[in-house]
Amino acid sequence: MDDNSILDMFFARDERAIRETSEKFGSACSSLAYNILGNTQDAEEVVSDAYLALWNAIPPEKPQFLCAFICGITRKLALKKLRARTAQKRGGIHGGFDAELSECIPAKESVEEEISAKELSVIIDKFLRSLEKTQRIVFIRRYWYMDPIGDIARKLGFGQSKVKMMLLRTRQKLLSELIKEGIYL
Amino acid sequence: MKKTEKLQDAIGMVGEDLVNEAKEIPKQTKKSKKVKWTAAIAACLALFLVLGAVFLPGWSSVSPKAYALALAQYPDMPDYPGRGNNEAKYEKWADYRRDKRNAYYALDIDLGSFFSATIREFLSDTDGENRVYSPLNVYMALAMTAEFTDGNSREQILSLLGASDIETLRREANTVWNASYVDDGSKKTVLASSLWLNKDVSFKQDTLERAAENYYASSFSGDVTSEEYTKAFRKWLSDQTDGLLDDSIEQLEFSPETVMALATTVNFYARWNTEFKKEKTEEATFHGTSGDKTCDFMYASYDDTYYWGEKFSAISQSFTDGGEMYFILPDEGVSAEELFDNKEAMDFIIGTNRKNNTYIKVNRSIPKFDVASTINLTEGLQNLGVTDIFSFKESDFSPLTDDTAVAVSKATHGARVMIDEEGCKAVAFTMLEYAGSPPPPDDFVDFVLDRPFIFVITSQVGLPLFVGVVNNI
Repeated sequence: MDDNSILDMFFARDERAIRETSEKFGSACSSLAYNILGNTQDAEEVVSDAYLALWNAIPPEKPQFLCAFICGITRKLALKKLRARTAQKRGGIHGGFDAELSECIPAKESVEEEISAKELSVIIDKFLRSLEKTQRIVFIRRYWYMDPIGDIARKLGFGQSKVKMMLLRTRQKLLSELIKEGIYL
Repeated sequence: MKKTEKLQDAIGMVGEDLVNEAKEIPKQTKKSKKVKWTAAIAACLALFLVLGAVFLPGWSSVSPKAYALALAQYPDMPDYPGRGNNEAKYEKWADYRRDKRNAYYALDIDLGSFFSATIREFLSDTDGENRVYSPLNVYMALAMTAEFTDGNSREQILSLLGASDIETLRREANTVWNASYVDDGSKKTVLASSLWLNKDVSFKQDTLERAAENYYASSFSGDVTSEEYTKAFRKWLSDQTDGLLDDSIEQLEFSPETVMALATTVNFYARWNTEFKKEKTEEATFHGTSGDKTCDFMYASYDDTYYWGEKFSAISQSFTDGGEMYFILPDEGVSAEELFDNKEAMDFIIGTNRKNNTYIKVNRSIPKFDVASTINLTEGLQNLGVTDIFSFKESDFSPLTDDTAVAVSKATHGARVMIDEEGCKAVAFTMLEYAGSPPPPDDFVDFVLDRPFIFVITSQVGLPLFVGVVNNI
């Protein structure tokens, strides 16, 4: 079923919309949640919550990209769960994401104001659009979909070291961009 | 909140289109050969300049989109409505053209020294071969190269192009582009540019964006060692030149060291303002440097401007709605190439002085021709003072990339010009045996292009799109 037909069902408050969403995007959502949480049971809970959130969001929302929209909800909920879990010292995000992302954080300068996540996203969005397509996709797969590097490399047909190098360069470029913009997190 | 968490959240809020784009990872083409960037392998910037001039209908353009990062968006020009058909539409079309012309005239751009120096450099010493050169095409390619360079590399180009600084050059090149651009359904002149990037090299985005914005350059990215990417490159060139330069294009390929290839083309198509009549076409002899050859001569007779100088005479054949093609015939005993060293003739070619003229009945006899040539620009540009970009030791391409040392490894310029119109009458007799520069007779003049000659095709603002020497047909 195409995305517009699923959206029509949401707007008609037809509960089959959830089943269609699950069939079409369920595996993408599950693997995203698992990438973040590293636990099947937690991932399933998050995906289930995401469907409910989707039902409540549409309408009034009418997303242009349904897959990105439902995955976005899943990602947000999974990170929320992960942070709650971390606070309870039940383990943080696996896969080295924190260490990689910390490379993009500029050192504090005295004069800069702290930037909000929303403002920061505008800069990152612009930065990503400036990248070559493969670089951009690799970055998004790693830090948005939280894919393991091995998965990205296998799908691209690259070696893992090449993907790591590509990500390293992109992180360095992002850091330069944030410094240039005078950003402090 | 931890800083990495804020970063995660910010990444989570990027555009959904970006997330959607990455929904599936595109399978990459298998490389035939691995590119390694090491200090021992110097990287090259391959600069290809290819262009074509076409006088045949049926122009089409299809870019190989599979590798496209960004495709040039050309200005939306009003269609040519035809004369007298629709006054309002005609005014809209004419206003657009006028605005572009006025923008060009307002800047008072002086490209005379660049045109004369490069025409002399690239069209002298033809060894009796035909040669075609597009000053505007090379101008655009060099202007873009100036954007990609810094320091002395840039200064040398600015000096040749007669621009005081890069901002001035950028403004001038954009204005020249717009003043030359025509695509109104009746006539077509497009200075198309494209950048073919090595996907393994990190390019500076702001520089590429400037190229797109100011020079209407499309950009593509791919594996320079893959056959598919090379084919896509050739296809772009072939599409832009209507397949007329395919013999030359087939020879072009990337090397594993290619960092980027820059390709600029001119595709020019226009109809004669006064067409030749087919029933008047006759065979006659062209006395080329390689001997006599029988070919079709087109014939027409009407009142028009006739030009002369100390060593040449000339007429022009205008195109519908702007632009001219000048035919310059050296006097008997004077070679076409000698005229490039003659100031009066050069001023005529580049359009700075065409004062010696009169309006008279001209019986014109012009051979149909189809001439093509490929010029290696490297030596000529070095002779004109642009040297650093060809040397890894001296070049500075830092605005383009910091990944590796870059130098221009190839500078190839291909061109083809065809004129082929319906109807004419050949007049196989030679005239214009005027010693010095007397004015022509009062009643009429016969202008017969039956020996080596020079042609110039100008844009609507008089800029030389093509200059060529026809030694043989």
